[in-house]
Amino acid sequence: MPRLGNRRTMIVLAGLIVAANGFFPALWILFTSFKTEAELMRVPITIWPAAPTFENYVRVFVDQPILRFLFNSVAVAVLSTLLCVSVSSLAAYALVRLRVPGAGVILSILLAIAMFPLISLMTPLFQVMRDLGLLNTWWALVFPHAVLSMPVCILVLISFFQDIPRDLENAAMIDGCTRLGALWHVVIPLTAPGVFTAAILAFVNSWDEFLLALTLSPRVASRTLPVGITLYQGEFSFPWPIISAALVVAIVPICIVIALFQERVVSGLTSGGMKG
Amino acid sequence: MSTIKHRLTPLERSERRLGFAMLAPAFLLLAAVVVYPIADLIRASFTFLHLAQPWMGNPFVGFDNYAKALGDERFLEAVWHTVLYVIVTVPGAVVVGLGLALLANKPFTIKWPVRLGLLLPWALPLVFSGLIFRWFFEYNQGIANAILRGLGFAPLNWLTDPTLAFLTICLAIIWKASSFVALVLLAGLQTIPKSYYEAAEVDGASAWQQFREITLPMLRPAIFVALIFRTITAIQTFDIPYAMTNGGPGNATETLAMYIHKTTVDFLDIGYGSALAVLMFIVSAVITSGYLRYTRRDPGRH
Amino acid sequence: MEHGLLRRSMATFGLAAALTLGGATLAAAQTTLRIFTGGQQRPDVMRQIVDVYMKNNPNVKVDVEVGGATSEQQQQYLNTVLASKDSALDLVLIDVIRPAQWSAAQWAEPLDTYLGAEKDAVMARYLPAYRAANIVGGKVIALPYFADAQFLYYRKDLLEKYGLQPPKTWDELKAAAQKIMAGENNPNLRGFETAGAPIEGTVCTYLVPMWGAGEDLTKDGKLNLAGDAAKKPFALWADLKAANVTPPNLAEIPTDRIRQNFQAGNLIFAMTWGYVWNRAQNDADSTVKGKVGVVPLPGFTADKQATCIGGWQVAVSAFSKNKAEAAKLARFLSSPDVSKMQAVLASHLPVFPAVYEDKDVLAANPWFAQALPVVQAARSRPVTPRYTEVSEIIRTNMNAFLAGTKAADAALADMNGRLGAIFR
Repeated sequence: MPRLGNRRTMIVLAGLIVAANGFFPALWILFTSFKTEAELMRVPITIWPAAPTFENYVRVFVDQPILRFLFNSVAVAVLSTLLCVSVSSLAAYALVRLRVPGAGVILSILLAIAMFPLISLMTPLFQVMRDLGLLNTWWALVFPHAVLSMPVCILVLISFFQDIPRDLENAAMIDGCTRLGALWHVVIPLTAPGVFTAAILAFVNSWDEFLLALTLSPRVASRTLPVGITLYQGEFSFPWPIISAALVVAIVPICIVIALFQERVVSGLTSGGMKG
Repeated sequence: MSTIKHRLTPLERSERRLGFAMLAPAFLLLAAVVVYPIADLIRASFTFLHLAQPWMGNPFVGFDNYAKALGDERFLEAVWHTVLYVIVTVPGAVVVGLGLALLANKPFTIKWPVRLGLLLPWALPLVFSGLIFRWFFEYNQGIANAILRGLGFAPLNWLTDPTLAFLTICLAIIWKASSFVALVLLAGLQTIPKSYYEAAEVDGASAWQQFREITLPMLRPAIFVALIFRTITAIQTFDIPYAMTNGGPGNATETLAMYIHKTTVDFLDIGYGSALAVLMFIVSAVITSGYLRYTRRDPGRH
Repeated sequence: MEHGLLRRSMATFGLAAALTLGGATLAAAQTTLRIFTGGQQRPDVMRQIVDVYMKNNPNVKVDVEVGGATSEQQQQYLNTVLASKDSALDLVLIDVIRPAQWSAAQWAEPLDTYLGAEKDAVMARYLPAYRAANIVGGKVIALPYFADAQFLYYRKDLLEKYGLQPPKTWDELKAAAQKIMAGENNPNLRGFETAGAPIEGTVCTYLVPMWGAGEDLTKDGKLNLAGDAAKKPFALWADLKAANVTPPNLAEIPTDRIRQNFQAGNLIFAMTWGYVWNRAQNDADSTVKGKVGVVPLPGFTADKQATCIGGWQVAVSAFSKNKAEAAKLARFLSSPDVSKMQAVLASHLPVFPAVYEDKDVLAANPWFAQALPVVQAARSRPVTPRYTEVSEIIRTNMNAFLAGTKAADAALADMNGRLGAIFR
């Protein structure tokens, strides 16, 4: 019994470390969002807000249409994630399982595009999106974001697909499944954690992305959150309390949704796959 | 990737066709979005193109821009700083990320706070992560110096001393990047069958032995993915030093990506900036192909 | 409050909007103009201003596009749009340091033909520094929208308490700061701050003392770093640091941190831009309300006081499809009426000397009376198409010097070498 108790303490401690690492700046932001700017300037510094105020949250909603930005960001991130993960799954599967000649070269080309600094590609990219008539729409970001995440998604998926024994697929195909059927019914469910990781990476990459969003979709109707939040900033001033409140409004719900969703979907998918 | 030539069976031929069909969407997407920009970048790198000097036109100058880069002290310093960031933050993020993933893989009754703790650094936009760490390390209002003062030490110039500035930037990068690594590794950990550990437990293997004999080998592909991407992103390090020190003091913490940004966005020297970007690409490509070769030679698959 | 101001402005300017509305139905082709402004140049006020314009010009529709918050974010976007010769933007607000670059890049439509015979008369009305900044190679590249300048902010209460006058020289400033710091015995109170981080404002940290020694970075188009004046800024900042008048972390201080420290009551003197006065005076959490004074920045002698100008200009994009209409709007945005409207609604410093004396403007901003002489004496940073490079060379060297990683001689030698290649 004492050993078990010990073990539980260790587990709780492990969880605390992981949570603390992630939560530390997040909590800092949370506390800051209830402070006044004067309190931030106080020496010695305070951690807990001395006189909590909701003023910053009011300003967040009054100054900018933050919910619109939030909606745009979610839409762009979801669409580019769907696009990226589906395209990447097909490509990764083809590279791992089907006898595509020159798979190594193809993989290298895919990876190579991830190595060009985005900043240098900005002007021609703008011209491409303008010629396609996509500027200031979600699509101006959905396609490039999908491309940005594609290399990492393909790599993640390859490393997971490689671990699935061929026999499982062959069995499914003997049962009358096509290749694509086997991918969909056997490989994807079995590699759910991998697919899910790829999806989270693609989602967060898009969610995070600033430079493209600033240049290709700058107008309010399609503006995303990272660009929107910087607008609370002034030429000189960086109002941390308001920006913190905006970050809390924007980021915390998304993280909670991903965390809950991940648990449900992953466990659902894996157990489903095992049964099938 | 077998190199033995043999006749393709009809099944193999149809699989190959299907393979190409499955790769087509990825290549279509690339063709639509980045092929032209990359071609344009490479073309520009062989020309003189300075937007503030339009009367000079856009003449072909051969390798002049590349030659200029090799004699540009600022560029060489930026390359050196970038290499240092890679050397410190890639292993740093992978080790910390592995630690976080192992910790997060414990059987928690309530999982979501742990997951959330993993996701938050990743989800906090890069620009703001840098700004928050800058704030932590500010001389007067920063928490780092508050702790030092509380312990009775003299406060440090975290952001204006070249060595300390480099280290605090590395800390911020590792914090941000380790959550990405942990997410990838955690997914890898979840695919390791529990039965392996149960069997090892029966054999009386210690926790360390289990880690070395089961976890690490099984995680190899995931660690490889994390390493390769961490390396590519480390070579492109921009936002965090930009927010924390803007390259200062002087240009002591300036990275290659920051120098390229300055050259193209501020100085409008597109030709030279493009050549720097191509050089940066070559550096990443050399490192990445090294990784790829290493893993392809590695038969350690199960 | 915003509404109150709006109503006041409507009354002030006596807009007879309804009179012109009747004709709108007959308006033929509607022109849509798009103007780009940064998030910090009060786009809300800009919208009120263009509303006035639209009411008087029913055939024109003006969209205000708000870009990134900082000058750099805006430039990132504008570079892309303009390098693509895109016609999406008709007018752009640009920083006072940009006209030479925009002129060289041929991004701005010169406005001379649109001003016609009135050109000289129109330009003569502006503050001299703005006239100079917007005419490049004899051509009008942009029209001033609002002014800004660096001021010496000081704590009126503290200077009075110790029987001191606002300093006119750096020596007086140092002595005053030391006297007050010794008397107050408050460990958080510092004498003086200016921008020291590697940012644009740090260029002024070098230039202002150089001007204060009676010289400029260039002389007749040639680099002028050989004399003693070029060393003065280094000596000054080293001296103030050694005397503990400036904080040990000056090299990490960005612009707004100066305001925050001043507002928190931790500074006696501050060298910073015009926006600080209103924040220090009106912010709910300011601890220095009613205790703020502004004067010109000191020189090394009282007759050589000088200040850096800032401010924003309206340029017409060379790629606009409606240049004539855009130029008309630019002239309106750069008119005394709009300057006054901005002063009342946004406390933006006017670009016309006369507007500083307007009684509505003074009622809203009593301190503009003291601001006028400062802005009138303000000077431009070097006017060159390669200003961004010049700026970068000065600020990185200054920052390295302030951080203590580069000696004054080494910094000056580096500036000489690299600036010398630009000012040949």
